[in-house]
Amino acid sequence: MARLNELNLIDALEGLKTGRFTSTELVTACYEQIEQFDPVVKAFVTFTKERALEQAKEADDLIQKEGGKAFEKKPLLGIPYACKDNFSTTGIETTASSNILKGYFPPYESTVTTRVNEAGGIMLGKTNMDAFAHGSSTETSDFFKTLNPWDISRVPGGSSGGSAVAVASDMCIFALGSETAGSIRGPAAWCGVTGMKPTYGRVSRYGVIAMASSTDSPGPLTKTVDDAAYVLEIIAGKDPFDATTSPKSVPEYSGFIKDFDLKGFKIGRPRSYFEIDLEDEVREIVESAVKKYEELGAEIVDMDLLDPKYSIAVYTILQRSEVSSNLARLDGIRYGQNREAFGMEARKRMMLGAYTLSAGYYDAYYSKAQKVRTLIIEDFNEAYKKVDLVIGPTMPSIALKLGESDNSPMFGELMDVLAEPSAIAGLPGISINAGFSRGMPVGVQLIGQQLTEGNVMGVAKVFQQNTDFHLNRPVIKSSE
Amino acid sequence: MSELIITKEQVKRIAHLCKLQLTEAELEKFSQMFTQTLAVIDVLNELDTSDVPETYQVTGLGNVFQEDVEQKGTLTQEEVLKNAKNKKRGLIVTKGVFDR
Repeated sequence: MARLNELNLIDALEGLKTGRFTSTELVTACYEQIEQFDPVVKAFVTFTKERALEQAKEADDLIQKEGGKAFEKKPLLGIPYACKDNFSTTGIETTASSNILKGYFPPYESTVTTRVNEAGGIMLGKTNMDAFAHGSSTETSDFFKTLNPWDISRVPGGSSGGSAVAVASDMCIFALGSETAGSIRGPAAWCGVTGMKPTYGRVSRYGVIAMASSTDSPGPLTKTVDDAAYVLEIIAGKDPFDATTSPKSVPEYSGFIKDFDLKGFKIGRPRSYFEIDLEDEVREIVESAVKKYEELGAEIVDMDLLDPKYSIAVYTILQRSEVSSNLARLDGIRYGQNREAFGMEARKRMMLGAYTLSAGYYDAYYSKAQKVRTLIIEDFNEAYKKVDLVIGPTMPSIALKLGESDNSPMFGELMDVLAEPSAIAGLPGISINAGFSRGMPVGVQLIGQQLTEGNVMGVAKVFQQNTDFHLNRPVIKSSE
Repeated sequence: MSELIITKEQVKRIAHLCKLQLTEAELEKFSQMFTQTLAVIDVLNELDTSDVPETYQVTGLGNVFQEDVEQKGTLTQEEVLKNAKNKKRGLIVTKGVFDR
């Protein structure tokens, strides 16, 4: 029998509902795993054990009193989760892994964690990330580096690296992350878990420490697509505190993908996504995933999309511009430390952003980038007249070795090249494990039109129903 | 297109705009990094955008209003001030802005 912490969300809920085990046992199992392996992979920056165990006790009492009925009002009752440190959590230190926010205890709670907590979810702790989400390796955390559980000489990807590692290492049942361009899908791919980046505006940004406000999208990192659908259903939806959230009602994703049928589904295979500099084995694994879909009844359509190199440039300008504006508010007066505490990466991004927004350069950079963004969106719109979804590699390589990115000022942007076009256009995308290269997981991503999360997850689920890559777990070896 | 170079002087000015203090070595480093990054960004000039409008946000939503009712759940003064280091009589103390 699987140890409790190894359960996926759907199975953990079933166990709690049927009284096979208690929330206290489940939470305790997660902490045992954390205490054994977190000193090696360092996924967490803050723990909330005492509070979590109290909440588990309360959950157990409620389950005892109301039985299965308790889950109707609280669909995540008693489920332990890990939370990226850029979600504001009332009274719990929230730093976005930055020194400048060290000692900051938010007086309010993000909408996403509010919804998860009201649904009965139990937070185990806050996870490490690239400081302010500025990066794709979790190496730019101001505190420490998180290591990849599949090979601790490698990075987990980022910026939601701590959350991806917590899921991959079975330290939690699911985790929350956020993506601006690649920060959910990238670490999910490199750690071999499921990472769902929703449509921009599908999930509220309220209380999430801002990176680039026009693309920031919170979402779940999970053990299966079913789990992602279940969590997304809870966190998605209109929020009066975030005017960019969609007023459209949230579908019942779990039900929608239950018996998902691929027949008649057209999956586009953009040539430009396979022509970039991919590792050979990554290409082979993603091609075999494409073939698998063909076998399973989908129609594969070779197609053209704009070269993703334009997205690197657009994304770099937009993101740095928005960062310079968002980080201007950190003055150390109302909260946090003074601006001298900013790390190298934040300084770099803020300054280039201030430059691209400054008088005389605005038209050449910021305005130009927003125009090319229009072209990228139109390009996708044309594509979705012919296909239902787009498939491609999530990352061009397997997880890099620690330190490999040190001398590349645009490392993150280059690594996230295959996530950037869809992020710029606000499209939903999922990364699932499609195989292994040199013992490291390789992700394949599926990208849909805005607000078609159901299709994206449905198609991803069919893959997991017919393969077992997502069931593999790393054997964590401590360093000698 | 000739290579665009961000000089140390320019970096100094940007740092000032961002209220950041840089060492001489950092000025040098950022000058090189920014020059490198702008060279990559330059690829956008391959695309003709003369008739293309900008997209500032992708939701398609416009004029999102809320009902004009009393907002519940605002923070108390105590909560708002909790994280400020320097406060006096329920206010945050800052450096003078007008009288310098």
